[in-house]
Amino acid sequence: MESTRKPGVSRRATLALMGAGAATLAAPWVASAQAKTIKIGMPTILSGRVAQLGTSSRNAVLLEVEKVNAAGGLAGRQIEMVIRDSKGQPQEAARIARELVNTDGCEMLLDGEASSGSFAVHEVARDLGVLCIHTCSEASSLTADPKQHIPNAFRCVRQGIHDSIVGASYAASIAKAKGLKKWATCSPDYAYGRDTTGEFVLYLKKFAPDVEVISESWPKLFQPDYTDVITKILQAKPQALYSCLWGGDLTSYIDQANIYAMFTQMEVFAVNMADYTALTVVKNLPKGIHSGDRYIKTFPPTPENAAWGDAYKAKYSEYPTNWSWQNATAVMFLNEAVKKANSTDGKKVAEALTGLTIKCPFGADGTVTMRADDHTLVGYAIGWGTTIPKEPYVLDMKAGDWKTIFELEAEWKKSKGYT
Amino acid sequence: MTELQAGEGAQVLKVPRIDARAQRYRDVLIALVAFIVLALLPMVFGSKQLLDFVVRCAAYGLFATSLNLLVGYTGMISFGHGMFFGLGAYGFGLMMQKTGVPIPVAFAATLAITFLVAAVIGAICVRLKEIYFAFVTLAFQMLIHSTILSWQSLTGGDQGLRGGIPRPPFLGIDLSRPMHLYIASCALLVIGLLLMRQIAQSPFGYTLRMIRDNPTRASFIGIDVWRAKLVIFVLAALFASTGGMIMALFVSGAYPEFAYWTISGEGIFINMLGGVTTFLGPMVGTALLLLLNDTVTRLTEYHGIVLGIVILFFAIGLRKGLMDFIVEWFVQRREGANG
Repeated sequence: MESTRKPGVSRRATLALMGAGAATLAAPWVASAQAKTIKIGMPTILSGRVAQLGTSSRNAVLLEVEKVNAAGGLAGRQIEMVIRDSKGQPQEAARIARELVNTDGCEMLLDGEASSGSFAVHEVARDLGVLCIHTCSEASSLTADPKQHIPNAFRCVRQGIHDSIVGASYAASIAKAKGLKKWATCSPDYAYGRDTTGEFVLYLKKFAPDVEVISESWPKLFQPDYTDVITKILQAKPQALYSCLWGGDLTSYIDQANIYAMFTQMEVFAVNMADYTALTVVKNLPKGIHSGDRYIKTFPPTPENAAWGDAYKAKYSEYPTNWSWQNATAVMFLNEAVKKANSTDGKKVAEALTGLTIKCPFGADGTVTMRADDHTLVGYAIGWGTTIPKEPYVLDMKAGDWKTIFELEAEWKKSKGYT
Repeated sequence: MTELQAGEGAQVLKVPRIDARAQRYRDVLIALVAFIVLALLPMVFGSKQLLDFVVRCAAYGLFATSLNLLVGYTGMISFGHGMFFGLGAYGFGLMMQKTGVPIPVAFAATLAITFLVAAVIGAICVRLKEIYFAFVTLAFQMLIHSTILSWQSLTGGDQGLRGGIPRPPFLGIDLSRPMHLYIASCALLVIGLLLMRQIAQSPFGYTLRMIRDNPTRASFIGIDVWRAKLVIFVLAALFASTGGMIMALFVSGAYPEFAYWTISGEGIFINMLGGVTTFLGPMVGTALLLLLNDTVTRLTEYHGIVLGIVILFFAIGLRKGLMDFIVEWFVQRREGANG
């Protein structure tokens, strides 16, 4: 048998292919000239398990951008959003962020990435020096850790540490009133779950020293069956349960725990319950689950917030999410900062953003602030209430006290070695 | 297996006599030309996206080609090759962040770590056959991924290595500048491919093909199959690790996703796309997949459907990788011309 494959053939084929490839590659890569419109790039997660949140981010941004454009745009330049799917992969998020700036000519970035993706985009912002506002990542270290600090990046997102302080102070008041001493925790087994639960328990014990945690469960992220966790908690017979499960995990957990009538046997504190994506999906939403606010249109109880929630629902036929208000706020910040700087130049806008306070429907007192020293959002509405199975889903929201948050946050930063 | 059956297999193994040295020179020459072309590309096109594209091609290309050494040349379908990609990224990133050693030292040290880890994992895995090998490599990958997630104090858990990877200049090379990173990645890619080509064309490479085609026969003629498999497993891991280091430099960080099974899956997919019977198949597959991914995500968010259709086209339509198809087409045409 004669060997028919000669090495030269494959090489020639390769070279031809490489040539063809290079020609194809080069065609769309002519750098675009700066136009009168201002392009803002946004990598976010539009596919996979958290696609719903990414889509709701895009919706909110487009809703706000429409308003800004109708009012004349950013310093006279109409905004054009370029939004791409990172699939939740950090390397894709980094690539897309670079592509948006280098090739599409975006002058600013809204980073709609969660967790590791946001840190990847942060590094791109560090490398390219482009103005970047993180709009979805709640990881406290993104802005609290001075190693992360760069002058051109901001975070317009609620934060794990703020939630823990407010949640623990609310839970402690209920614990004292109802004599809840034996607690159990049940949170997803990854950094967010461990950190948030750890901080909650720390502050709960600070506010109510006689509390003890008698059972801890750490189900895997995206675990489909919670039977073992539920029976373990029921056997421990705690008086109260804390959980920072979220999204589909939280709704599956509640549906499964309902079968065991868990919610009649203990007080449940689920920080991520009060989000329409969870509230509307649970089959039988139990009455009386304590939850922090993610986004509900009745908190803060202002006409502006209700109007915003309704406008979003009218346009997209669903309620906004926690990511929605954060993204909307980021566009509001950009708009005000450009007005203040009277320029769309990234550096000038960044300077204007630092320490900026704007009117905002999601502010605890009608305003929110981009804190100057760590470039992070403060003053947003944060509170806890209890659920009911129909609209408005959450009642008796008790607002957190920002003075206490600031004090304890400063202590926490010190304990972490950040200040 | 009977003697007769073993004898039947032997016919296929007729290797054409090629002057090894001449071929080596030609490979080196092609590598040099490829490097010069790559180095000149930015001058012709001046697009930053092109630089990013080639850097990513280098990272994934080294990874996918090294996987092909296992899959295509040795017949070991590893589902866990991504662990070495992740190991390279984390090893290098951590070394740079924690110790502040010069980049070449961190590079060498990461390779040394990969060598050790791959030797241990390989020693356990390569004894296993086919599906068992695939699953145990996958299990080790998930073990490493879980370790990265739970060893928060060292790896930063699911948030990855934060704060950027310091890239101090060395020997006049400053990898924080895109152009320098580009040239360095091209150099690593070309050298990596050249080395892997030498491995594939060496007597050892032909031993691997023999093991793939008939391991029983190979062991009967005195080849230590276990040792040969282990050696190629470790060598492939080193190249995958180099790919991981390039990726870590590109994103200036390391994230648990780099060690997740999806990366291994992408490697397998790249090999399917490009073809496993030619040496450059995986490289072509890499360029094709990245190009598809980049163009499709620009145009639509329903990229999953488009990529799925492309996979179906290759799996059901061509039934082979692109390079396999092209090579066969050339051979057929030549045979047709020769009558």
